[in-house]
Amino acid sequence: MSETAIAEATGLRKLYDTRGVETLALDGIDLTVHAGEFTALAGPSGSGKTTLLNILGALDVPSEGTVRIEGRDLAPLSSAALSNLRMRKLGFVFQAYNLIPVFTARENVEFVMELQQVSAADRKRRALEVLEEVGLGGLGDKRPLEMSGGQQQRVAVARAIVARPSMVLADEPTANLDSETAGRLLELMAQLNRNYAITFLFSTHDPAVMQAARRLVRLRDGRIVSDEVKAKV
Amino acid sequence: MAWRLAWRGLYRNRRRTFVVLAAVTVGIAGCSLAIATNSGMAVQMVKTAIATELGHVQIHAPGFDAEPQLRLLLEDGGAVAAQAVEGRAEVRAWALRVRGQGLMNSPRASVGIRVVAIQPDAEAQISSFASSMTDGEWFGSQSSRVVIGNGVARRLRADPGDKVVLSVQDLAGDLTGQAFRIGGVFRTSSKAVNDTTVLVRLDEAQRLFGLAGGVSELILVAEDFQAVDSLAEVLAVSLGETAEVRSWKQLQPLLVYMVDAMDQMAWVMYAGVFIAMGFGIANVLLMSISERTREIGVMMAMGMKPRRVVLSIVLESMIVTGLGLALGLALGFFCVWLLQGGIDLSLWADGLENLGVGAVIVPVIRLNDVVAPVVLASVAALLASTWPAVRAAGLRPGEALRRV
Repeated sequence: MSETAIAEATGLRKLYDTRGVETLALDGIDLTVHAGEFTALAGPSGSGKTTLLNILGALDVPSEGTVRIEGRDLAPLSSAALSNLRMRKLGFVFQAYNLIPVFTARENVEFVMELQQVSAADRKRRALEVLEEVGLGGLGDKRPLEMSGGQQQRVAVARAIVARPSMVLADEPTANLDSETAGRLLELMAQLNRNYAITFLFSTHDPAVMQAARRLVRLRDGRIVSDEVKAKV
Repeated sequence: MAWRLAWRGLYRNRRRTFVVLAAVTVGIAGCSLAIATNSGMAVQMVKTAIATELGHVQIHAPGFDAEPQLRLLLEDGGAVAAQAVEGRAEVRAWALRVRGQGLMNSPRASVGIRVVAIQPDAEAQISSFASSMTDGEWFGSQSSRVVIGNGVARRLRADPGDKVVLSVQDLAGDLTGQAFRIGGVFRTSSKAVNDTTVLVRLDEAQRLFGLAGGVSELILVAEDFQAVDSLAEVLAVSLGETAEVRSWKQLQPLLVYMVDAMDQMAWVMYAGVFIAMGFGIANVLLMSISERTREIGVMMAMGMKPRRVVLSIVLESMIVTGLGLALGLALGFFCVWLLQGGIDLSLWADGLENLGVGAVIVPVIRLNDVVAPVVLASVAALLASTWPAVRAAGLRPGEALRRV
């Protein structure tokens, strides 16, 4: 595993203010994710996993502390610059698949490349390759609602990796899947991690994901309570 | 991509898209038809006034416009004015008239009337009296015949063939009179004209009024309605101080004002309709955007810039509005085409005749009238969609993703 830091969080605190009620979601998090890692953030509901993932993914901003992606501090970046950074450096897989319902599977996979202004022919070729790679060859013209949950999540993974991001952030990717489908998806992501050295950072409370992760960071009440690096697979 | 997202977005909730589309289509079609009917009424008011009283241009002796009097006669019995208009390509037809006041008696009643002395053949070319006959006939070869409005006939309780006596004050100030037979009865679209007007041959009226060949006015109709003002200016320059030349707008500024007022009232009504429609569209869009806030969050998470999100949402509403506009205008035009025979408002005929409008209104589409609803609806849709779109795109992706 490379020691190049992809994401670095220092002194992160996140306070949510909902109609005057303040909730401390993160309380002094220091975490560095290195290139090629296959890391899981584990912990019970409300422990701050998703919040931490969102902040590391430049989807949200911390109340205190700094976040760097590939050494670049996110704090001074404009909304457009953050969009650019997410488009070029990060991929996302969400718990509820969150595919664009009016697009086909192939168009969903092409989405980021279209934002990157990749030519239509290249986009199509690359999207079909990646769909084939995630086991969905021949399903490119299906709309999300015509696919099973497992197939939709595979499309989401294909969408996340197609532009070769530095890091894929996956928020509870197996939560809505049965154990067999979840296992196959996990294997797929592990394979992509091995083959293309794509860094994966999960939030999860699925024991299978925790077991598959090579680094397991446990959170409780917005704090890191353990950070365990397992032996290389 | 914004176009594709916008276009596909229409299929996301087909029922909702249909509702918005139907609202815009029906709103635009209804407004187009209302505008066309309103325009038809305005056009008819102007046409009626032109076809009975005004013509396109009138030439009088100086001072006649301010104070119409029998003694104010055109120079040389109208020969100078006639020479100025005769042979002009812009002039379709012209006629001479004498205007005066009088009292008409039948065996059963007496009514105060306006005498309009005409040249029957020439008059038939410039006004609608000859084509508005409802009983009897237009002037034939027989002398001492009058053609009267149906309101005058009703008040006199007289019919064609009945004898009437016309009493007037002549140029010398003496009371004089002559017996006539009613040759025919006309009914124009103007109640005021029908209730007061008696048409007499010009030569007989000149003898009755003691005018010795004098005429009050030369009235003409132009080949091109749009060029009437410039024709009036040219004639005014040509005739100089010897006569005053007035276009129909100068003769009846109240009519111009009424037509303008009708247009403005219509605008107020349409603005109300479009504001209501705008709120309707905004409401549907707010619901639609609220439902897909999470999806917007996903697109922004993947790097879509907020302005592109706004663009796709605004485009979506503009496509629906554009389709609604096209369908609405097509439907509105189709209805106007179907109604080219006229909308029969006979039940309100008396009221409409008071306005100088006939009982049958033919809707008229004018280009400017179509531009107005198109612009208003587009602006309403733009404003209605921009606000929720900007609001949605202003969320941080993390916030949008948390929305359920």
